[in-house]
Amino acid sequence: MRIIGDTHISFLSYRKMALGFSMVVILAGVAYMFFGPGLNLGIDFIGGTQVTVKFQDEPDLDRIRKAMSTISSATPEIQRFDEVEKHEILIRIENPGDAEGDFTKPILDALHQEYDLGLSGRFDLNTQGAKELANLLADSDPEGVLGDIESRREYYRAQAQAVLEYRKLQGLFASVDGIDQVENLSPEVAAHIKTIAGAGEFALLGAENVGPTVGADLKNKAQLAMLFSLLGMLGYIWLRFQLPYGIGAVAALFHDVLITLSALALFHREINLPTIAALLTLVGYSVNDTVVVFDRVRENIKLRRGEDLEKLMDDSINQTLSRTIITSGTTLMVVLTLYLFGGDVINTFAFVLLVGIIVGTYSSIFVASPVALAMNNALVARRRKKRRR
Amino acid sequence: MDKKIIYRIVLIVVVVGLAAWSVYPPGERINYGLDLSGGVHLVLQVQTDDAIKAELDDAGLRLVSVAEEQDITLGTAISDPENLSLTFDVPAGADRAVLSEIVLDYFGDYDVQRGADSWTLKFKANTEKMIRDQAVRKGLETINNRIDEFGVAEPRINRQGIDGDRILVQLPGVDDPERVKDIISKTAFLQFKEVLGGPAPDRESLMQATGGSLSPENEILPGNRMGFEGEVIGRDFYLVKKVAIVTGRELRTARRSQDEYGQANVRFDLQPSAADKFGAFTESHIGTPMAIVLDDRVMSAPTIRARITDSGVIEGNYSIEEAEDLALVLRAGALPARLIYLEERTVGPSLGHDSVVRGLRAIVAGLILVMLFMVIYYKLSGVNAVLALILNLLLLMGAMAYFGATLTLPGIAGVVLTIGMAVDANVLIFERIREELKVGKTVRAAIDTGFGRAFGTILDANMTTLIAALFLFQFGTGPIKGFAVTLSIGILASMFTAVFVSRTLYMVLMRGRDRVQTLSV
Repeated sequence: MRIIGDTHISFLSYRKMALGFSMVVILAGVAYMFFGPGLNLGIDFIGGTQVTVKFQDEPDLDRIRKAMSTISSATPEIQRFDEVEKHEILIRIENPGDAEGDFTKPILDALHQEYDLGLSGRFDLNTQGAKELANLLADSDPEGVLGDIESRREYYRAQAQAVLEYRKLQGLFASVDGIDQVENLSPEVAAHIKTIAGAGEFALLGAENVGPTVGADLKNKAQLAMLFSLLGMLGYIWLRFQLPYGIGAVAALFHDVLITLSALALFHREINLPTIAALLTLVGYSVNDTVVVFDRVRENIKLRRGEDLEKLMDDSINQTLSRTIITSGTTLMVVLTLYLFGGDVINTFAFVLLVGIIVGTYSSIFVASPVALAMNNALVARRRKKRRR
Repeated sequence: MDKKIIYRIVLIVVVVGLAAWSVYPPGERINYGLDLSGGVHLVLQVQTDDAIKAELDDAGLRLVSVAEEQDITLGTAISDPENLSLTFDVPAGADRAVLSEIVLDYFGDYDVQRGADSWTLKFKANTEKMIRDQAVRKGLETINNRIDEFGVAEPRINRQGIDGDRILVQLPGVDDPERVKDIISKTAFLQFKEVLGGPAPDRESLMQATGGSLSPENEILPGNRMGFEGEVIGRDFYLVKKVAIVTGRELRTARRSQDEYGQANVRFDLQPSAADKFGAFTESHIGTPMAIVLDDRVMSAPTIRARITDSGVIEGNYSIEEAEDLALVLRAGALPARLIYLEERTVGPSLGHDSVVRGLRAIVAGLILVMLFMVIYYKLSGVNAVLALILNLLLLMGAMAYFGATLTLPGIAGVVLTIGMAVDANVLIFERIREELKVGKTVRAAIDTGFGRAFGTILDANMTTLIAALFLFQFGTGPIKGFAVTLSIGILASMFTAVFVSRTLYMVLMRGRDRVQTLSV
């Protein structure tokens, strides 16, 4: 089977149009980033506390907002996380001023105050841990195993762990009757848990806190990693090919990274560590495509000495076109599955790759080679000029 | 069969065997990162300034008491943490030679500047560094003890940071993260102090009672005002002596207990040496209140009713859990300095579990899509590529298990990406073979040239991704590092499977047939 047969498209003849188009997109993107709403930097870089909780019922965002108002003067950002029917909420608070500090506890305390007063001191199946449950069971010893407190704790540990295992699989206990679904509980223990425990309105899914020190640190590191990987690519291609090709490849990379960043800004995607990781991966991937084309150009130069470089490049792009499309296609397929099925945590990561691969494929054809050609021509012209003198 | 083919097959079997062996039993040999197993990742900074201040304060007290033994009565020594020094007035009639001797004998870590009527003790060059270093080490040890007592499996606690004042704590599989964080960061510095005044509703009224000024020997500490059933109903202030009668360092053990109303409290036992001091003090102060101070907060100020020697109770309207934790941290020892959280990442167990399930779904869906595509597009050669892809995943898992690499959520994304990119090598080869066939080469020659020519390209193309992965590894924190590792191993494995294994498969296919007319590609 064949998707793309023999093609003889003179890609390079469209170079002015393509480069012009890219320039317009990039300029618009950069303008949007700088003068528009800008990049949505996440807590990894600006610092702050971010807590994800899962509620029993569809949560009322206003009620949560009200509960949060007691914590900090900064307005918290409250938004839905993942699919609506999962009742998951993300709460984000910036650290006031340059203070270090973890707001997880105050946030959770405020939520408890607002939602879990009904528990009135009972053990909360949705937020407390196995150790505490084992201790409580050991204190009242529903099975009457006797022995000293330590051996009783040891004894009840396994059953307490089973309760927590259930929460791990289900996300949370809908009510205290969920205890009946837990496997490996003795009837006495199950009955006792029902008397001492309750199911709170929410469970903690995850929490992140990054202080300003670490935030600044990470920002710095991310910029350096970006810069050095671009330099690394330039160096490698310069070494393996020639300087004009290196410049062409790096121009394509700038193109890809800038457009992907613009897309992140446009769709108001949050930029965190995994996003930067995805951008770096994109850098590696996008060069990959370019290298394949350049590799063919190098081979053709050897075979067909003296021929016009523009024609050689066009032929090389055409010869590798079906590979470029197929590989981009398979990678796109898997990134799409990641985007669709990978969950909210990894979604922005997949988004970057999705945009990046499409842009990267375009740029390895329409940006890298034209720039390399222009650089090469400029270099040749300069050499001639020198010789004439 | 051709010897060359046999060697190749043996090598493949050995490599695959090793991978399978190191990954077996599946699911148990791969380390899950915190983001998949659920757990807590903390970066704490030790406030080593606290330790400096404590050392100076302590040196001041030591100095006064040592001088007292030599019949020299000094006033209070004033510590100045910013200049790392301690200044005290030398009384007119004091024997300066004796004082010099004391300083020489007991304060070897200090330089002394002798003024006309006041002397200053200043840290020697190395003292500051040493004290800060000790504070971090003690902090590390204390955190270790506390986590040990709490019981977390496979904790990782390391020192890090340029100044070495940061502590990284990683605790996998914690189901009650807030509680563990609380236990780690509680300073838990317990002191028993003599109460001179209070309780009073505010600082000012206490100050007025002492004549408007506060002697440097005393301090005012806040505390809780308790209701009849031990509940907190407000705030009170106490005037107490700065010097503690006994501190938490002299504790033998502590445990949760309860009072006659069922209210949880913490019962403690003192070491014999402290019991003597405590006994003597309580005997001579019957009828006066004594403050139980935890982290500069008066927990309670009971009136001494009788001589107490080696045990006592801390009451503070605790829940069972709080009392349990306080007993734990008292047992494990106080922190030498406050800790602040610089970074904290918690992944609840259910979120981690959810990520694994979804990640696997994405991997399987991606794998099926790519495999289907390859078989449809390249027919029999596609089957060859699919085999190479499966081996690639096996090698990836095997290498991760063997090197003890950690699989993280971005790492799963790395696996998915590897699936898409690993077939790239096969695509490059197959496309090349197709080209060679088209210009009229025989099947055998086309395969030879296809593999030969494509190899250089594959090498160059993969190197760039490896370079990017290297920078990722340098820059990344845990999960990102996991991604970089997965991606790198995946790419390296794909060079072996797509080039070496696929080639061997072709060789086996061509074996014994002199003239192969067609190739399913």
